[in-house]
Amino acid sequence: MTFQAPVETYKGAIRQIDVGGVAVGGESAFPFHSFDGEMPNDPKIAFEVWDIAPDDWSVTLNGVYGDTFGDSVAWAKKVVDEFGADMIYLRLRGTDPNGAARSAADAAATAKAVVAAVDVPVIVIGSGDVERDPEVLKVVAETLGGTKVVIGNAEEDTYRSVGAAAMGYQHSVVAFSPMDVNLAKQLNVLLSQLGLDEGSILMDPTTGALGYGLEYAYTVFERDRLAAFSQNDAKMQMPIIATVGQEAWKAKETKVSEDELPGTGDLVTRGLMWESLTAIALLVAGANIVVLRHPESAALIRKAISSLKGEA
Amino acid sequence: MTERYTLTFQPGGVVVADAPRGETILRAAMLADLHINASCGGSGSCGKCRVKIVSGEVESERSAKLSDDEWSEGYRLACRSHIMSDLEVFVPETSRMGNAAVLERESRGDRKGRLLTPAELQSLVTGWSLDPVVKKLCVQMIPPSENDNLNDLARFKKALKDEFGLSNVSIDSIWIRNMPHVLREQDWLVTATVVDTTYGSKVIELESGSHCGEDYSVVMDIGTTTVWGQLLDLGEGVTVAQASRYNKQISYGDDVISRIVFSQKPNGRETLQQAIVDTINEIVDELVTESGIERERISHMVAAGNTTMTCLMLGIDPKYLRMAPYVPPADFIPPVRAVNLGDGIKVGRHVHLHTFPSVASYVGGDIVSGILGSGIFDTEQITLYIDIGTNGEVVIGNKEWLIATSCSAGPAFEGGGIKHGMRATDGAVETVRIDPVTYEPTLLTISDAKPIGICGSGIIDAVAELLKAGVVSQNGKFDVGLPSDRVRTADGSNEYVLVEARYSGTGEDIVITETDIDNLVRAKAAIFAGIMTLLESVALDWTDLEQIYVAGGFGKYLRIDQAQAIGVFPEVDLDIFTFVGNGSLLGARLVSFSKDMLKAAEQVARTMTNIDMSDNPMFMDRYVAAMFLPHTDMKYFPRMEATLAERAAGGR
Ligand code: FES
Repeated sequence: MTFQAPVETYKGAIRQIDVGGVAVGGESAFPFHSFDGEMPNDPKIAFEVWDIAPDDWSVTLNGVYGDTFGDSVAWAKKVVDEFGADMIYLRLRGTDPNGAARSAADAAATAKAVVAAVDVPVIVIGSGDVERDPEVLKVVAETLGGTKVVIGNAEEDTYRSVGAAAMGYQHSVVAFSPMDVNLAKQLNVLLSQLGLDEGSILMDPTTGALGYGLEYAYTVFERDRLAAFSQNDAKMQMPIIATVGQEAWKAKETKVSEDELPGTGDLVTRGLMWESLTAIALLVAGANIVVLRHPESAALIRKAISSLKGEA
Repeated sequence: MTERYTLTFQPGGVVVADAPRGETILRAAMLADLHINASCGGSGSCGKCRVKIVSGEVESERSAKLSDDEWSEGYRLACRSHIMSDLEVFVPETSRMGNAAVLERESRGDRKGRLLTPAELQSLVTGWSLDPVVKKLCVQMIPPSENDNLNDLARFKKALKDEFGLSNVSIDSIWIRNMPHVLREQDWLVTATVVDTTYGSKVIELESGSHCGEDYSVVMDIGTTTVWGQLLDLGEGVTVAQASRYNKQISYGDDVISRIVFSQKPNGRETLQQAIVDTINEIVDELVTESGIERERISHMVAAGNTTMTCLMLGIDPKYLRMAPYVPPADFIPPVRAVNLGDGIKVGRHVHLHTFPSVASYVGGDIVSGILGSGIFDTEQITLYIDIGTNGEVVIGNKEWLIATSCSAGPAFEGGGIKHGMRATDGAVETVRIDPVTYEPTLLTISDAKPIGICGSGIIDAVAELLKAGVVSQNGKFDVGLPSDRVRTADGSNEYVLVEARYSGTGEDIVITETDIDNLVRAKAAIFAGIMTLLESVALDWTDLEQIYVAGGFGKYLRIDQAQAIGVFPEVDLDIFTFVGNGSLLGARLVSFSKDMLKAAEQVARTMTNIDMSDNPMFMDRYVAAMFLPHTDMKYFPRMEATLAERAAGGR
């Protein structure tokens, strides 16, 4: 008798959505489970770019970007041309009212310049300040009217205005929710109640880095996907974007030298392993886009994707 | 039987059948889902409910809101016009919701779950006879003579035996002390109040003369937030008066946990006991005043409360109720003298107070009482019983098995933690409809008084309507962009004006705030999650339930369909729902009326198994899923899903 491996067939699949001309999602089973279902599109790697020079990034990253910090266009070109970014994740950190407090118009001008300079899709994200984001993202949506981008984040407190801005100019949105399956779904429901097409929503269910909640993030991603596959829940079938770089490079282990953390090995290697391990775990759990910071982790992830697909 | 009449409303010829005689036209119309504008809750002050009586007879009072001409043309205020015959009523455009051209009855369906009449409520449990544990017996003795020189006590006992077959009767010593005088005062006719105890009958009071047929008891539901009391006529087996008060312990904490914490402070336990005794005394005062019955005629008390409330009332230390493994101090507590609690409940010193047995720390006598009073302990059908209160209690089972849990819902359903919340008493907004086009509300208050606040059923109704009209999103937040002055931002938070100051009895706007909605959502989520978790623990689904009994201090109405709209229950068939009102009181009444029921209560407590939610990891997940209107998972809410989808499509 020959062994017959069991096959999981699911009722539902992830929506394939168009992110600025690039197809994302569409899988009918967990990523890389080619024995269970299809994965028509590889997971994508987005690179994080800011509208101002970050002052809290690891020295490791300063070494990579130092000269482009402060010039978002040059920075974006670098990640596309040199590092092969599939997408840009443009964080308008400068609009934070407690930081540089840039005007919405200035920030939108930066976004416009970045969009014009690269030929990959751009995801434009506010500073995360729920008071400021609606205003900034409205101007961004308007300024980039005519070019399809993704704007975000739409959160529980901001989804109405951010959703309306996206709908008004035919952009997509990132729906950002706390790390909880129900809350993620609730936000998707609210956005679609608003009239936003379910095919223009990416969900960011909150990422936890290695040592900082990765296990929890993993199970939440997995449960998000199970709701999409097993229960065929249309409100949970949006592709997932995971902000891996931002979380991984926040960890002390990616910032502190070996002198201070004896026995933990070289800081640079440690940092990019931190980012890569977080990314690969979440890709397996169901992430469709991982947002990274370090080019070498991106290279590692790309290799991992192709070997998980059985290509190498 | 109250007579019932048929009303025909024009234009449109909408028929409302079965309106009871004396009901106002407004109430009859609204309860039948026919909208007539009413901004003042039916108190006759807004003048918006003008209708014209085309034919038939109404009893109506003259109103300054109607001109002489209008009056003679037949115009009346619908809220001030009592139905006295079949009627044909014309509703002018200005009184129609959304100024519709033709009246239309909303298609909410005719079924709203069963509402029981008082008589029906009392026949939920059958097979018992009026045989109270405390009785008054009129004893006529033959006076002593030379050849019959039996002593007073023996003579009295002999009479009890000869006339009532009571042997082995014990007598409180204080009555023996007064006996020589009492027996002779009215020619050897006395009234003995006799209680059945485990050790036989005991005379607890002796009065000269005949007081038979003047035998009353007070039964109470000691809620964490609200205390309800009824005065019962034990001879007739009927309720004479009813009263309620907020539990005065509220000042020391909203829920049972904070009360237990407070009880551990110096004098805490005494303070809390006195607070509930004071509350009970106010209720007894009102019952006595309302009914005109003398306080001395009360001979028995029964109280049903959750385990913490029972402990605090009796002065028992509740400390270990909140500590694992959550063991209550006692299940069956013997009756105590009411005058011995705190400074004393103001009744005769012979009056004993019976409490209901508890099952566990968080499944108390109130739920045992509810199961008894609703007859679940005696049914074959698989029944879900839910007591919607501060401590939401859920029981599933039938005569063979009962499984129970409780989930802390908070006081929102009783009007607590709600800005303009109040108990279900006069002036509380209890029914709300909101026009999905103009966002204008239509209201009814309890007793058609000027609105002064909103009670639990009013809040459920209001939030259900706000949700359906799109004023509130599924996350309970207002859409402040709507073209209506009723939705506004005040002091940094959003609210909906339910009653404008000019029509309210408080002279201020009555509003529903986002925080109110938040509290209601938490409360209903706890109940829904508790039911789900309990169902799963016995591997049942909603569809397995044959009947659902809903209890709670909601006044007369709880619209089950509205409760479904906000997700207290899923949209299972309304026919299997029965709203029983205050379930704990139902059981307490039975126990006061019949000593067999006292035994049945003990049986219920023994049958019931408790499941502790704090140990259950699924509960929290179910809770978060239910923190949405009506729920994150719409599979239980197909009707609402369609309504909301329609609204979203309309909004695009
Ligand atoms: S006057 Fe009748 S409802 Fe106000």
